[in-house]
Amino acid sequence: MSERITRAQIPLSEMTITPGSACQGCGAALAARLAFKALGPNVIRHGIPCCPDSVTKTPRTGTVFEGGGALLTGTSRGLKAIGRDDVKAVAFYGDGGTYDIGFQGLSAAAERNEDVLVLTKDNEAYMNTGNQRSSATPKYSMTSTTPVGPKSRGKPRHKKNVPFIFAAHYVPYVATASVGFPEDLIAKVTYAKDLKGFRMIIIQAPCPVGWRYDPAKTIEVARSGVQTGLWPLYEIEDGQNFKLNYKPKELKPVSEYLSPQRRFRHMTEDETAEIQEDTTTKWDTLTRADELGRLII
Amino acid sequence: MHGRGGQGAVTASRIIATAAYEEGTYSQAIPMYGTERRGAPLTAFVRLDDVRVRERELVHTPDISIVLDPLIAKQQAVVDNLKPGGLVILNTAHKPEEVELGGDFKVATIDATTIALETLGRPITNTAILGAFAKITGLLKLESIEKAILKYFPGRLGEMNIAAVRRSYEEASDPIQAVVTKAPAEKVDIHVGGYGVLKDVSSWRLLTPEIDVDTCIGCKNCWIFCPETAIEWDEDTMKPSIRYNACKGCGLCANECPVDAIEMVRVEA
Repeated sequence: MSERITRAQIPLSEMTITPGSACQGCGAALAARLAFKALGPNVIRHGIPCCPDSVTKTPRTGTVFEGGGALLTGTSRGLKAIGRDDVKAVAFYGDGGTYDIGFQGLSAAAERNEDVLVLTKDNEAYMNTGNQRSSATPKYSMTSTTPVGPKSRGKPRHKKNVPFIFAAHYVPYVATASVGFPEDLIAKVTYAKDLKGFRMIIIQAPCPVGWRYDPAKTIEVARSGVQTGLWPLYEIEDGQNFKLNYKPKELKPVSEYLSPQRRFRHMTEDETAEIQEDTTTKWDTLTRADELGRLII
Repeated sequence: MHGRGGQGAVTASRIIATAAYEEGTYSQAIPMYGTERRGAPLTAFVRLDDVRVRERELVHTPDISIVLDPLIAKQQAVVDNLKPGGLVILNTAHKPEEVELGGDFKVATIDATTIALETLGRPITNTAILGAFAKITGLLKLESIEKAILKYFPGRLGEMNIAAVRRSYEEASDPIQAVVTKAPAEKVDIHVGGYGVLKDVSSWRLLTPEIDVDTCIGCKNCWIFCPETAIEWDEDTMKPSIRYNACKGCGLCANECPVDAIEMVRVEA
């Protein structure tokens, strides 16, 4: 499990070349900046179609959505063949490339326990093409393919629990992180960097355009997502050992996360109460697993 | 029509086309396809004609250029491709006589940002320039624009936008011939399309952060949370400084500063 770090321990050197072509207040650009800052220069970055976030000084290669897992496998095996243990194959994919289209390739790579690090910036929809729903989109969220009208209340189904799905491949390391907690994010990336085998970190990356809030509030939104329990920060090792990284005495009400975002503004009190109940139940399960130190699957 | 992502240039082009359609004119609205980002400069085009518009191409030599953003309005590129004797409508607080764009065209100005902020509460300047467009060009009636707006923004939002259009209609001044006749030698391309690293994004900003170093307590919040690495940290003095050509003006730093040492100031246009 990762060690806590303080802000003074965060490296000052940057790996990103800015200004990039991301929108104002982009959560994904910040996620890229923080993650690659922690990874340092000896990294080959892999990309698949997604929003343009920060450009990094590392070499970069890319492929189609479906090929994400295969490309990573090729790089990591190639590095092993030429004996470069010091260079890491790192993926920086979006939620579409992890949760939906790229899922089968990554699942296969996880099952083979390839020596790769997968970073996912989760902005909860296909934001590059204009906010279409993905399986990372939370329930009741308004997107351009799940609009709100007389017969639709936004997305009808829950967000897919991808960290647990990958943990169920019994891979060495799966974690969630958020741009609102940079120390936690950097600690996790630094720890995962030196592990062997399949590692995955899913980073919550709020999107001001798709989530419809003022770009200045990116961190506020990210932070309240964690504080309300909707985006719990945890680590799972070997599919079993479990640790919650952020444990407040009391969770904030979910409305604090939902109300600033206009993608949820149609929600009634009943619907908010439903999300609240669901979140509390899931949080109870997580805290119990944290007390035990392991997951019971 | 030049604007930046989030100001509604594409919507404005559609409103003009819809309004013209309401009046029985053939019309067409197309945005330029690229990597549209919130804050990034973009262009949309409208064709109006008495006969059916069969062309599907972008407009390369427009009769009228409408600029939704005060900073883009300072760049020569917005008038470069105008037909001789064309018209440019700029969103700026300056008078037409003070505009420093060179060439043979007519200039009209309207302070659409102020109108938008006062009527809509947000700097979305698309509707706040349409009133001026209707008055200056005389191509469209105010009523048909209002009708078109209600089609795109039903309800209260539509009423607010109509208020913006009416105010802009009243405040618009008559166009005058451009004072400067020669274009400047140095030119900046306003399109920053594509993925990758950009040179300068300072024209993306509506609000600029300013740091009060005396109030700063050195918590590093602004530095760690800046998505564009626009804030540099000096480890010796424990104070931040801003790289203004990388700052897109999102306001994250000001929002996260625990002691309000960063203030977002409106850019002088």
